[in-house]
Amino acid sequence: MKKPTLKTSRRIVQIGVAIAFILIPLLNHFRISYFTGNFLCFNAAGLPLADPLAVLQITLKNYYLSVDLIIGAGIALGLAMILGTIFCSWICPFGLFSELVHALSKKILPKTYKGLTIKGTGFRIKIFLFSLGLSGFLLFSTTPVLNQLSLPAWYSRIFQFYFEQKHISLAILFLLVILLVEFAARRRLWCSYICPQSFLLIAAKLANPRRLKVGFQEEKCLCKKDQDPCRQSCSLSLDPKRLDYVLETGCNNCGDCIVVCKKRGKALGFQFRGSK
Amino acid sequence: MMRLRFLRPPGARPEKEFLARCLQCGQCAQVCIFDCIKMRTGFNPFTSGTPEISPRDAPCHLCMRCSAICPSDALEDVSIEESKMGYAKLDRKLCHTWKGFIICRSCYERCPLKATAMVLEKGIYPAITDRCVGCGVCEHVCPEQAIVTIPTRFVT
Repeated sequence: MKKPTLKTSRRIVQIGVAIAFILIPLLNHFRISYFTGNFLCFNAAGLPLADPLAVLQITLKNYYLSVDLIIGAGIALGLAMILGTIFCSWICPFGLFSELVHALSKKILPKTYKGLTIKGTGFRIKIFLFSLGLSGFLLFSTTPVLNQLSLPAWYSRIFQFYFEQKHISLAILFLLVILLVEFAARRRLWCSYICPQSFLLIAAKLANPRRLKVGFQEEKCLCKKDQDPCRQSCSLSLDPKRLDYVLETGCNNCGDCIVVCKKRGKALGFQFRGSK
Repeated sequence: MMRLRFLRPPGARPEKEFLARCLQCGQCAQVCIFDCIKMRTGFNPFTSGTPEISPRDAPCHLCMRCSAICPSDALEDVSIEESKMGYAKLDRKLCHTWKGFIICRSCYERCPLKATAMVLEKGIYPAITDRCVGCGVCEHVCPEQAIVTIPTRFVT
């Protein structure tokens, strides 16, 4: 049997997680509660997992941390420090939908359509929006109000609402509208420019210079000058050949470019080297 | 439908502190074996996803599973007697027993803190003492809806 590519195994994990968060509220409804919670805070049979931004908001307002939250946010940040923001590429259900919509947009819309082009790198816009949101939270809110911007949390909450109290949340429309805009713009706007939850993961990743990265070896590249299959394959519209420090902040280590490059000289690959 | 009069689960801190700590993860609602804790619906960004209990629909039975699982201690681990969710108020003009026609005792028999939170005056008439924690069971079982549970969310 053929060994599944990185992309196939990633899709299997993503779809598995997306289905798991439908099943968990359903199981809870039938009193099986080894797994509880949503993407803001999750309890996996005793192991706590938490969204670092939610924990940060609670800590800032209460000067308080519980052991559960330290472990939960620590696991998420530690993983990002070593392997980069693989939460976004392997686990986040909105990331899955966003990727699928991006692929669909490429397939359906005409090739000549370039989509929305935005100047400047995503991370700078993200820093700006994040600091705007965080200062708004510190000034005007006591509740962790940035949690409402967590799209994976809304995804899991829709099913919590549905299976536990038979309430169909209109947040479904909210998610669909964002996906529709991304389809028309042919850019993964939310993931690249807005998602405040990913900001802390990116910050944790930048704290470790020897984290997992996509590396490019120019001498191995077999593509002609005008060919860039790796760039075409990148759902975040990055250029894997020119991943400098700034562009690399947007990379989710999904490995799609590496899969494409496998047949073309294996010039791209994962590595733990520090930045040159 | 949005309800304005709702209780927080047992062990909840005062409202402002509770809202500052609640992660809106919904674990309390998922471990509630009586399905009385619901997550607040709607799009108010400050309260959406926080837990609520509407005793008319389903009262709290004080099993305290929710306060045990709360990861951010928005629901504190307290004993049943200290879990001040609210207090019940009995309208004697509506109560069967106080009206003097039927000896009802529904509320007294179901009260989780029978004989401390709810006592029988002269052995017949139900009366609520200040030990009531406001679980809302009496409100739920009262055939005349003579009992209303008033939340203590805003009392510090």
